[in-house]
Amino acid sequence: MMQTYHQIARGDTLLAVDHVSLSFGGVKAITDVSFDIRKGEIRAIIGPNGAGKTSMLNVINGFYHPQKGQITFKGLTRSRMRPSVAASQGIARTFQNVALFKGMSTLDNIMAGRTLKMHRNFFWQCLRHGPAMDEEIKHREFVEDIIDFLEIQAIRKVPVGKLPYGLQKRVELGRALAMEPDLLLLDEPMAGMNLEEKEDMSRFIVDVNQQYGTTIALIEHDMGVVMDLSDRVVVLEYGHKLADGTPDDVKANEDVIKAYLGVAH
Amino acid sequence: MFYRETGQFKTNYADDMALLPILQDRIGLGIILFVAYVIIPFFGNDFLLSTVMIPFLVFSLAAIGLNILTGFTGLISLGTGAFMGVGAYACYKVSSTFPDLNILFCIVFSGVFSALVGVLFGLPSLRIKGFYLAVATLAAQFFLQWCFVRIPWLYNYNVSGAIEVSQRSIFGVIVTGAKATPESRYIVMLVLVTLMTWVAANVLSGRIGRAFMAVRDMDIAAELMGIDLLKTKLLAFAFSSFYAGVAGAAMMFIWVGGGEANDSFNINQSFLILFMVIIGGLGSLLGAFLGAAFISSLPTILKFGLPAIGIPLAGATAEHLTYILVGGLILFFLIVEPHGLARLWQIGKQKLRMWPFPY
Ligand SMILES: Nc1ncnc2c1ncn2[C@@H]1O[C@H](COP(=O)(O)OP(=O)(O)OP(=O)(O)O)[C@@H](O)[C@H]1O
Ligand SMILES: [Mg+2]
Repeated sequence: MMQTYHQIARGDTLLAVDHVSLSFGGVKAITDVSFDIRKGEIRAIIGPNGAGKTSMLNVINGFYHPQKGQITFKGLTRSRMRPSVAASQGIARTFQNVALFKGMSTLDNIMAGRTLKMHRNFFWQCLRHGPAMDEEIKHREFVEDIIDFLEIQAIRKVPVGKLPYGLQKRVELGRALAMEPDLLLLDEPMAGMNLEEKEDMSRFIVDVNQQYGTTIALIEHDMGVVMDLSDRVVVLEYGHKLADGTPDDVKANEDVIKAYLGVAH
Repeated sequence: MFYRETGQFKTNYADDMALLPILQDRIGLGIILFVAYVIIPFFGNDFLLSTVMIPFLVFSLAAIGLNILTGFTGLISLGTGAFMGVGAYACYKVSSTFPDLNILFCIVFSGVFSALVGVLFGLPSLRIKGFYLAVATLAAQFFLQWCFVRIPWLYNYNVSGAIEVSQRSIFGVIVTGAKATPESRYIVMLVLVTLMTWVAANVLSGRIGRAFMAVRDMDIAAELMGIDLLKTKLLAFAFSSFYAGVAGAAMMFIWVGGGEANDSFNINQSFLILFMVIIGGLGSLLGAFLGAAFISSLPTILKFGLPAIGIPLAGATAEHLTYILVGGLILFFLIVEPHGLARLWQIGKQKLRMWPFPY
């Protein structure tokens, strides 16, 4: 059922990046880059260190305001926006160097992802009975499904600051999923993981994409993973777009081989 | 051995989300409430009630207030004393303007007023953090203190310049003024603290509490969850100042029964409450109580306790010893255990859970 919906939906443009340039003082992080992300696809963004990949995600969810160009998300065009607005429009993300709420438990971290969907006012929060408790339970059930999905039941009540890095990355994915995003931005979700953890994470990403139909933009250095998971790949180098296409296209591209894959081999 | 959650399976989320999910903790709380509501008022003497318990309860409220702001939301404040003062003067003005108004209502109103003032002084917190925010709240402390002294309207143009507490009753029982018994004042204080602790625990364990902690731990990620930083910080200031305001009003009306603001609501008071929060444990309600109990009773223990067991100690020496002990402990906790006494208690419970096995 989900699958058919997913197949039909795949294809329309969800997000379009249009001639975006971003610089910090003299440093040009992104220069005149355009690409699009289609509904339901896994879109990889790759490139050497300092290519501007993270900066691109920061532009998409409103942390950075590009000097030139614009972003169109779900048909709405804007050149600058606030991260909280991006969140309410359905963009969630994970960070390259884990940005969890370290003092809170796994459960509370993921529950925090439900914030936008919880509305009981301060009065009810003071009582924590009736409607406030009903709401809390409803969202707890949703969050427990995510916990089961990511197989992190055992660390539910553990403060995330105490977890190993691999699990922290998983919790961070859970927190992003709790927002039920239309577009999920993942910044190197497998960095620093061993092979087994990488395989688990790849499986979760594919499952999220297929079961929930969530569109994913993925930054990743591991070429094997990128080629396996993604539908289309955009390659950045020194802030410029070098190539854009299916994994096979990109693999065959002369410039890319020279600039990026060549280095990896 | 006896402190175990094994065998206590939660069959639904509501049970698991209760404020105290472990049975032994609920029993412990029951015992504490029984002692506080029954044993102490019936068997405690005036000294215990007036000199130990009432100050402890007042300080607990103030420490909860500061802990909401600093421990839970990560915003440091050196203005707690001044916000207590705002509560005290608000209560004085309202109760003297409307002599027939129930005093409890006046106290709650002073909390609300203090919350509004807190929001005003919390506005800079969106732009500034850490050290600079501390300086901004310090400015609030001095500005408000200046108001307390320089605006005679606040103390009704009394020649003494002090707050004069008149006699008020609740359900026919005198609770403020010279004729109020320690028992009645203690019970009023206890009810206030019980209710307000319950409310704080509720708010902090729900959506709003999570937003506070999210802002404390990683504000950029919080923003990304759709948490509005300004609103959340201002709410933390308001909520925190409410507790400080009620504590200040209660201090004047229920504990000391009137006095001058410069003595009671100065920078020393702000620091004292900050010390309670640090020693008790940042980000823990239990910590607020432990810190308040420790710091508010330490001088009494040194001054009266030590001579009672045969160790003579002059009043001034006791005071100096208090400073030395508190100073030393602050250093100890800041370096060794930033989560204070509350964390030590948790570690103790953890050990108990494993006992008698070391692992
Ligand atoms: N906030 C900032 N201030 C100044 N320069 C920045 C900032 N953020 C990024 N840059 C610069 O922009 C360029 C692109 O950085 P970015 O983090 O986007 O690269 P990346 O492709 O994510 O690299 P990596 O693979 O190492 O994560 C770099 O030269 C970086 O130094
Ligand atoms: Mg990066």
